[in-house]
Amino acid sequence: MESIKKEHIYYAIFGLAMGCILSMGGLSDFEQINGLFLFENLPLLFVFALSIGLNMIGFFLFFKNKKLSQKSYIKGTIPGSALFGVGWAITGACPSIALVQLGEGKLAALVTIFGIYFGVWLFRRFVIANPSFDNGICGEE
Amino acid sequence: MDAYIPWYYTAVGLAIVTLGFSYVLGKALGVSGSWARLVTRNNDREVRLAEASFVGNPQLFEDALMAATIREFGEKEVNDFLASRQKKQPTKQSSKPEDTIKKMPSRVPWSAHFTFLIFLALGGVAGSMIRGTFSLQFDLGEFHTQMFGGSYVSMLVLLIGGLMVGFGTQLGGGCTSGHGLSGVSRLTPASLIATGCFFGAAIIFSFAFKLFVAGGI
Repeated sequence: MESIKKEHIYYAIFGLAMGCILSMGGLSDFEQINGLFLFENLPLLFVFALSIGLNMIGFFLFFKNKKLSQKSYIKGTIPGSALFGVGWAITGACPSIALVQLGEGKLAALVTIFGIYFGVWLFRRFVIANPSFDNGICGEE
Repeated sequence: MDAYIPWYYTAVGLAIVTLGFSYVLGKALGVSGSWARLVTRNNDREVRLAEASFVGNPQLFEDALMAATIREFGEKEVNDFLASRQKKQPTKQSSKPEDTIKKMPSRVPWSAHFTFLIFLALGGVAGSMIRGTFSLQFDLGEFHTQMFGGSYVSMLVLLIGGLMVGFGTQLGGGCTSGHGLSGVSRLTPASLIATGCFFGAAIIFSFAFKLFVAGGI
């Protein structure tokens, strides 16, 4: 096991803050998320809109001289995202939300978490057979 | 149902997390990437071992790069290119191997990504404690049970849905945080396409389910 480094502490702080906000904002509530996708829960749509808008300003103001890695278009961008969208609609969970749901005591999220882990594992197997679908995530992030 | 915090608090909070993360760690926030590093944790050791010999001997790194270049383009091409470059800029020194190594992307250990995922769950504990709604339950709430049925059926639904989320985010190269929050706000083309796709697919599925399966709850 590696020793605890600076990164562990930063990742812990941001993880805790993010989980807490997602939970308190209702993004881990299946009913709320379902309402978002049916356009019945407009405030949740505003959450995405405003936070993307603020990020836009923030990235423009504070990251002019910093090089952040940009995601590039890959073969799997469209089919993968569509698959993820349906999974999100079914479980109410994106990769962070499943963990937040578990933290709130919703034990059913353990099944989603197992599914996500196994899905990622399956993808790594898939990439060995089809290298052109590699997403490059393994390298630097 | 207890009220959640106002939407603009959530939005500001998420923006602070995304920007703060990028500012402090120098890389874009992405939760699906952390999942990938957790699953591929055994590769970390191999990568570290492979890099160790280069860190100790920078010249080796330069040689390995040159060997790979020759393999790719052929010895003649490389020699011609080097000769033509020498003619154009005879005085300019190529960068030192030590500098090239410094430019290599630093790799956060997988255990940091694992810490991140654990603390996301602990954030869920904290958030629900603050709201006073923390309670152990076996389902995802009444509404989910209403939509997909109870016990075994809903477990199967969650397993299949989880598989789709896991496989889909890896295939698509990101999720709500990476593509949605950090990508769209920087107008990255791939992220705009991906976010359109996963929101679109989720909207279409939800409407179709409501229309054809639930018969309009």
